[in-house]
Amino acid sequence: MSRWMFELAIALVLLAPAPLLAGAPCTAPSADCVAVGEWDLSVAIGIGERSNPIAGNDDIPLFVIPQLSFYGKRFFLDNLEFGYTLIETESHTLNLIATPGYDRVFFFRNDPQNFFVPGVGLVSAPGEADVSEEMTRVEIAARRARSTTYFTGTEWLFELGRSVGQLSALYEATGRHKGYEVRGAFAVPLVQATASLVLSAGFTWKSSQVVDYYYGIDGYYEPGDAFNPFVKLGFSQPISERCSFTAFVHYERLGSSIADSPLVTEDAVTTAFAGFVWRVF
Amino acid sequence: MRARSFAWLLLATIVGAPDVSAAQVGSAVTLDVKPRVCTIAETDELCETTVRAQWRSERDESLCLVIVGRPEVKRCWDNYSEGRYSIELAFSEDLTVQLRDPNLEHVLASAAIAVIRQAVELRRKRKQPWNILY
Repeated sequence: MSRWMFELAIALVLLAPAPLLAGAPCTAPSADCVAVGEWDLSVAIGIGERSNPIAGNDDIPLFVIPQLSFYGKRFFLDNLEFGYTLIETESHTLNLIATPGYDRVFFFRNDPQNFFVPGVGLVSAPGEADVSEEMTRVEIAARRARSTTYFTGTEWLFELGRSVGQLSALYEATGRHKGYEVRGAFAVPLVQATASLVLSAGFTWKSSQVVDYYYGIDGYYEPGDAFNPFVKLGFSQPISERCSFTAFVHYERLGSSIADSPLVTEDAVTTAFAGFVWRVF
Repeated sequence: MRARSFAWLLLATIVGAPDVSAAQVGSAVTLDVKPRVCTIAETDELCETTVRAQWRSERDESLCLVIVGRPEVKRCWDNYSEGRYSIELAFSEDLTVQLRDPNLEHVLASAAIAVIRQAVELRRKRKQPWNILY
């Protein structure tokens, strides 16, 4: 499996079918509709953890998760992602987006994606580390610098009744590894009353350049591309107009070319969180 | 002679013309209400503001200030040539303030506060099932 996955995703994104079931039009601010030109800040405070598959690296605690977004007429900012909406109908949206590569979170605790998590990076960049001659190639690879990367590409979001789907075809534009990613997911509400229970399933396909940049070892382990499927179960219960309780469990199976890396000791990443979300404004 | 009389009549008409405003009904009493417009977001249900009313008359008057649809609001003056009144109000539609005679039978002056709702432009929120925080 190589670039055909990316090319297929591009084709699907650009040939997004006509609306099958239209969503409700935006007539008032709601969970589905936001006011143009207004900032939205929510903060989730609770307890959670993300397992870390990298050898010797601790799991990542989750205590505070801020969510900041801004929607202009076309432009939007959504946490660390930003983009431009090309097409928006009641059930389909086609965006150009810029989104960070997420693998870095396992190597650097102070990555921006590990918001507000106390402590410093578990693995130091070269030059900062006390590199000894005894260090193995694996250890050197683990300590290798991995810069923050950004992918750019197209994103297709769609709704089928109450279910939502996503397909993104992305290219690493910051020039670190020039790899590709395809991200896809589909979420189905199992319960949608006052409380909601949503089951999601999806995948991330990473080209060999992406996998090699994070999990490869020069001259020792040169991985191919990877397909990571995941499932997630999320629960949300509104408590007041500005506060809700939320909990989720996310299980992601690592593709064999990642799981087989000598840097990796686990073949899956599990993330769980439970806490309260406050809408600040 | 006739032309001179017409000129004087015209001048007197211009100089002596009464100050006509929308809030003035009749010849003597003028009513000024602030604000004239209350602008609220489309998502807001009510305009909450302090309504300030001020009236003047060339001669002493006995009258009452009322607000249409608000029977609880009534302020009367007896033989005054001016008066002021303010009240905190919350309203969703245009508000009409009136000056009436003490028996509330005749409207002497009237002014309105217009409620204008700002149109809020909405768009769909990005729903990303791939995102762990979705």
